[in-house]
Amino acid sequence: MSQYLRMFLDESEEYLQSLNQNLLELENNPNDEQLINEIFRAAHSLKGMAATMGFDKMANLTHEMENVLDRIRAKKLVLKTEIVDILFICLDRLEKLVKEIATSGNEASDVEDIVLRLQNIKNEETSSKNSIIDDNFFDLESEEKDQILQYLKKGYFCYLLDVELVEGCLLKSVRGFMVIKSLKEIGIVIKSIPSLKDIEDEKFDYQFKVLYITKESEKEIRETVTDIIDVKGVTITRITEEDLEGQSVISTAEMEIAVTEEKIETEETPQIDRKTSQDIKVSPTIRVDIDKLDSLMNLVAELLINKTRLEEICNRMNFSNELLNDILQQLDRVTMNLQHTVMQVRMVPIERIFNRFPRMVRDLSKELNKKVNLIIEGAETELDRSIIDSLGDPLVHLLRNAIDHGIEDPETRRRLGKPEIAELRLTASQKGNEILIQVIDDGRGLDPDKIGRKGIERGLITKEEFDKMSDQEKINLIFRPGFSTSDTISDISGRGVGLDVVKRTVESLDGHIDIDTEIGKGTTFNISLPLTLAITQALLVKICDETYAIPLSVIVEAEDITPDRIQMVQGQEVFLLRGHMIPLVWSHKLLGLPVPDLNEVDQLSVVVIRTGKKYVGLIVTELINQQDIVIKSLGEFLINTPHISGATILGDGEVALILDVRNIA
Amino acid sequence: MSKTVLIVDDAAFMRMMIKNILTEAGYEVVAEAENGKQAVEKYNELRPDLVTMDITMPEMDGITAVKEIMAIDSNAKIIMCSAMGQQAMVIEAIQSGAKDFIVKPFKNERVLEAVKKILG
Repeated sequence: MSQYLRMFLDESEEYLQSLNQNLLELENNPNDEQLINEIFRAAHSLKGMAATMGFDKMANLTHEMENVLDRIRAKKLVLKTEIVDILFICLDRLEKLVKEIATSGNEASDVEDIVLRLQNIKNEETSSKNSIIDDNFFDLESEEKDQILQYLKKGYFCYLLDVELVEGCLLKSVRGFMVIKSLKEIGIVIKSIPSLKDIEDEKFDYQFKVLYITKESEKEIRETVTDIIDVKGVTITRITEEDLEGQSVISTAEMEIAVTEEKIETEETPQIDRKTSQDIKVSPTIRVDIDKLDSLMNLVAELLINKTRLEEICNRMNFSNELLNDILQQLDRVTMNLQHTVMQVRMVPIERIFNRFPRMVRDLSKELNKKVNLIIEGAETELDRSIIDSLGDPLVHLLRNAIDHGIEDPETRRRLGKPEIAELRLTASQKGNEILIQVIDDGRGLDPDKIGRKGIERGLITKEEFDKMSDQEKINLIFRPGFSTSDTISDISGRGVGLDVVKRTVESLDGHIDIDTEIGKGTTFNISLPLTLAITQALLVKICDETYAIPLSVIVEAEDITPDRIQMVQGQEVFLLRGHMIPLVWSHKLLGLPVPDLNEVDQLSVVVIRTGKKYVGLIVTELINQQDIVIKSLGEFLINTPHISGATILGDGEVALILDVRNIA
Repeated sequence: MSKTVLIVDDAAFMRMMIKNILTEAGYEVVAEAENGKQAVEKYNELRPDLVTMDITMPEMDGITAVKEIMAIDSNAKIIMCSAMGQQAMVIEAIQSGAKDFIVKPFKNERVLEAVKKILG
């Protein structure tokens, strides 16, 4: 709800502001048609938005405003100071309503008084110079008008037909359809009020109007129409070119707005809870194209690279100048702030995707005869827009899995002494530079041995591997492609294609997924994601002679060690870090680089990396430093390069590859 | 010579009613059919001046029958017999070539009005 509300409030304020400005201008140039049109459009849009959101007072007020403006537009009403005054009062009241909605979610002020004043203008000032078409509320698009003019030039006639059916006639929609059908046989139906579709749907009262082009005479038309049973009569009015010229034309832009409004209405109306009275703080905003933000981010990245290069040069030249250092520091601060702000701008609350889950969970639990209470926490947590968009599907999968496999049916839960209604939690929170998203159920939990045996059955592991595996490793088997724990394959989940896809998606976002589970108590899926994809902090290391970057988010610590601290335990190289045994992996091996002879080096660097619940020491040749890097994609051809997730440009202009260390354990 | 009519309706009662109305007014009911399929066969055989066509019928519904009859004879004159609430189907039938419709329960004068209009 609040996501629409916010947009609604933002836009309403924009429209009100432009209305205020344009009205002021209009007072000075009362004959500026473009201005009147613009004002009319803004009022019209406001009306549509307010009605969609269910703010009836706003809708009512804007509707009356629109009526008055329409008269002015059609030159039936002269714009006098009094009218402008009333319109301004109207705007003030609208602003008040918007403020009330922003703070309390409700419209508090009354609008009746102004509505009455607006209606009074309408009534006392009807001028004689009416346009027939306007009177009949035909909003013609310019193309339609052109079309009619073309026909008139070719010797056709244009008529406005007002067809009346016998009151109480049966199946009037079919009669209406028959009238139009027979009219179409001798001419062209430009437009009807109500629309053809509404006539077919019986949305009219025994009367409808048709704007009609034909070569036939009025007599011929009358005969054709009245020949149909149940037609009471038809009024035929000839439309001339002058009538059309006086007709105000509704622009295509407005039509588009009207169409989108309709769409919003049909899609969103059921979700809108118009009586939220929680406090909503809204600061003024503008809406920006996401592409612009992307290019802004790119520019900031370029700036960052060049800042790093500048620092690098100063360091290498051993150039110490107080003024220069000062400038460099300033530059550093400004770029950092700039980067931070741009990142902030790209952030959207995760509720964008969370919003659709309550409905899904409701439907699914109903379908599966399970009782589930979905609790959503931290929906306001913000994430980079590009990450959020790809996150929907994995979360759908996890929630479905939880309901389908994790949560027991109410019967079983009662037997186990659990509350019948299961609790499914979806939470989001920010932890430092990462966002943690959890899907927590209190269902049956995962049984490592059962999963392990399934793994053997599926040919994913051997019996020997099974015996050696820890519980956590067995559980992680469910992320392997081709694994399914469900004994029966259901429609909802459990085709064995789910979790591996989830894992792949999360990892493609530079994130990480792991599981906490306890048999009989429940399962938690933890997804951690970087705040943003474009810029991250990284540790630069040397492996052989090449420079690589390791994202700081996965690093626990880094240490220089002497080769004698490396020990062999069960054929695995390890080293002791404050009493903990940490398995070691040679980065050189991963990358196919020559592994140095332990006897020939006197010092090695180990970067301790967290992958899931495990720690692994990655041996590199040398630690360089820590810096912000701008992540660049390797492009389509190299995207699947093992252990490499991207590249970055260093201060000296060299390219460094970014190590993908999530799967090295 | 009086005009000939084919009455199509799956309910014998409805057929009898229409038949009475029409014969009293001087039309000649040359045949009756109780589904769309029969209606098409009878039409092909007898080429009546007018067909009254029910919409919901077993075997073949009235709309399909209208389409098939129109394919045989584009000058065929068909009146749909509809119930309340069938507007969408009536519209489809008229689009397919039916000339008019009458609504159940039938009133003599309404039926005759429609028939006269079509047969001239």
